[in-house]
Amino acid sequence: MAKLTREDLAKIKQDATAAEKNWIKVGYSSCGIAAGAQEIFDVLCEEARKHNADIEIRKCGCVGMCSAEPIVEVCVRGMPRVHYGKVDRETAVKIIEDHVCGRLLVNDHVMDGRI
Amino acid sequence: MSRTVFIKDTGTAGKDRTRDFYGFFLGVIREKGLENEVIPVRVADIGLYNQGVAVRVVPDNFVYTRVEESDVSLIVDSIKTGEPYSAKQVKPVSKQLRIVLRNCGVVDPESLEDYIAHDGFAALAKVLESYTPEKVIQEMKASGLRGRGGAGFPTGMKWEFTRKPRSDQKYIVCNGDEGDPGAYMDRGVLEGDPYSVIEGMIIGGYAIGASKGLFYIRAEYPVAIERIEKAIRRCHETGLLGNNILGSSFSFDLEIRLGAGAFVCGEETALIASIEGKRGYPSPRPPFPSVKGLWGRPTCINNVETLANVPVILHKGADWFSKIGTETSKGTKVFAVTGKVKNSGLVEVPMGTTVEDIVYGICGGAMRGKQVKAIQTGGPSGGVIPKEYFGTKVDYESLQKMGSIMGSGGMIVMDEDDCMVDIAKFYLGFCVDESCGKCAPCRIGGTQMLKLLTKVTDGQGTQKDLARLEQISHAMQKASLCGLGQTAPNPVLSTLHYYRAEYDAHVNEKKCPACKCAKLIRFVIVQNKCVKCGMCFKACPVNAISGSRESGYLIDQTKCIRCGQCFEVCKPKAISRS
Repeated sequence: MAKLTREDLAKIKQDATAAEKNWIKVGYSSCGIAAGAQEIFDVLCEEARKHNADIEIRKCGCVGMCSAEPIVEVCVRGMPRVHYGKVDRETAVKIIEDHVCGRLLVNDHVMDGRI
Repeated sequence: MSRTVFIKDTGTAGKDRTRDFYGFFLGVIREKGLENEVIPVRVADIGLYNQGVAVRVVPDNFVYTRVEESDVSLIVDSIKTGEPYSAKQVKPVSKQLRIVLRNCGVVDPESLEDYIAHDGFAALAKVLESYTPEKVIQEMKASGLRGRGGAGFPTGMKWEFTRKPRSDQKYIVCNGDEGDPGAYMDRGVLEGDPYSVIEGMIIGGYAIGASKGLFYIRAEYPVAIERIEKAIRRCHETGLLGNNILGSSFSFDLEIRLGAGAFVCGEETALIASIEGKRGYPSPRPPFPSVKGLWGRPTCINNVETLANVPVILHKGADWFSKIGTETSKGTKVFAVTGKVKNSGLVEVPMGTTVEDIVYGICGGAMRGKQVKAIQTGGPSGGVIPKEYFGTKVDYESLQKMGSIMGSGGMIVMDEDDCMVDIAKFYLGFCVDESCGKCAPCRIGGTQMLKLLTKVTDGQGTQKDLARLEQISHAMQKASLCGLGQTAPNPVLSTLHYYRAEYDAHVNEKKCPACKCAKLIRFVIVQNKCVKCGMCFKACPVNAISGSRESGYLIDQTKCIRCGQCFEVCKPKAISRS
């Protein structure tokens, strides 16, 4: 990749804000990985593919609620942006089926108001 | 537009009524035919504790606490009108302020583009384009940022001291040798936002006139190391490291050195020795590293959290930063809250926030209905703060006044089951293990103190021993070579100060009030309460419990190791601990 210039920085920023779409972020620091983030990430990817969901699944660092890992943050246009804590396989499937596809929040896992 | 209603029972006593209220809301919504406009959700946490049933309506952000069944219908009505239901409304307050952790959990730590999209390298571009190194130092001094490694030395001054001496080569080092038990703030930042630390280092290098920087990270942080390595590689590829960064005349390079996990290597002179490939021994200061450091050259050593603050300060300005916090402690501090607390994790609060707000407000207090007894800040170099003093503000001076220190940010919560003598013994034991052995006060003093403490917890201690503990503590504080030895007695002194009665109970009555010290307690089955379920029999790891479901059970005191597992599993509480 060519060397970045100041103009490139501005452009990357602009492009990123313009291309913003629906996304899921999985906490992928030591605390998350230890709690099973890897498996959750795979399940989310697999389910999204199965349901042909229009969603980008990314990794991110530790959001600070280590005792509630694995944590998954979901941003779907027109719905509240939420963190799900203690996500297991079953919840991960529900996140794709209910939240992303069905536009309904999943019960009992939302970590609200902590940050 | 539809509204979402988050519901959570935050009360402690009795059963969790979250499901009941979810049902009430569903019923009322159905009754009023608002299924498409109001959607209730049961949540796992709502950021409030011990305030009855709490409800938050989004996106309006109306928060209600102590909600009763009769309020449900009125809340739903209020949602329809768009006005808040004022009878139960509380102001939502966000106690956390994220500056250092701004990107943690937000950006993809392995994506340079994502970091740039979140204002990454904007500060660097600004600095290289329009700031002289002197101006950068000026800004840092004006911001009032103090070192987050523990001692709290002003960062701007440190940079200035390193800039002054003339030398063919200077270094900036990132101290990522985080070793306090229970502290992992730096790991969180290195893993979650590696580019911000790199950006901080490049700016630091520019300010002090260094063309080379080194990361010193402990080998126990494999994920952090991997991400920093990847980030450095990406920065090289894109010209953010190397020659003529962003088209300027400034060139800078970064490398990683791994620490083998010795606590003393977090001390700057020992850290330098370790990087040079020598044994991690501290050496007397002066000369300070800013004059004669790594390979004899002026070296500036900054903590991970300090460096992560740098890009934000220069991006948003020193004025903005210096408005946050207290008079002498500016900005925020990240704490790793662990121990017997409901929500453990990383918390970032403005300086001057009270301990109470952190422990109860953010972390939800103790687990399983127990009472919080105290917290320990500053790890093995710090001290305890008893519950009665939870009004204390967290800033460098207030914590010091309490006999503790800010430290790097470990905050361990202890509850009523923790014995303070045992805690002091644990921390001292840690320092004795980690003492490098170079100077006598630390090497011998620590060992002797540990022996005395063990004597006390074994029920053999005398008042004379307590006096001697204090005596050795003061000698260590004065005569030790480096910070490890000077601060190692702090947990002992601070527990002696606040919990003298507990020490006295161990010494005079040979009792451990918290029932923790194994040699001073015994477990006995109270036969008239025992239901002969056999749970204790199964739980005992050393087969000290004998008997059967017919004849009942007995504990053999000669075999018992006082681990307390039988006590934990006994449902009818038929095992007495005394």
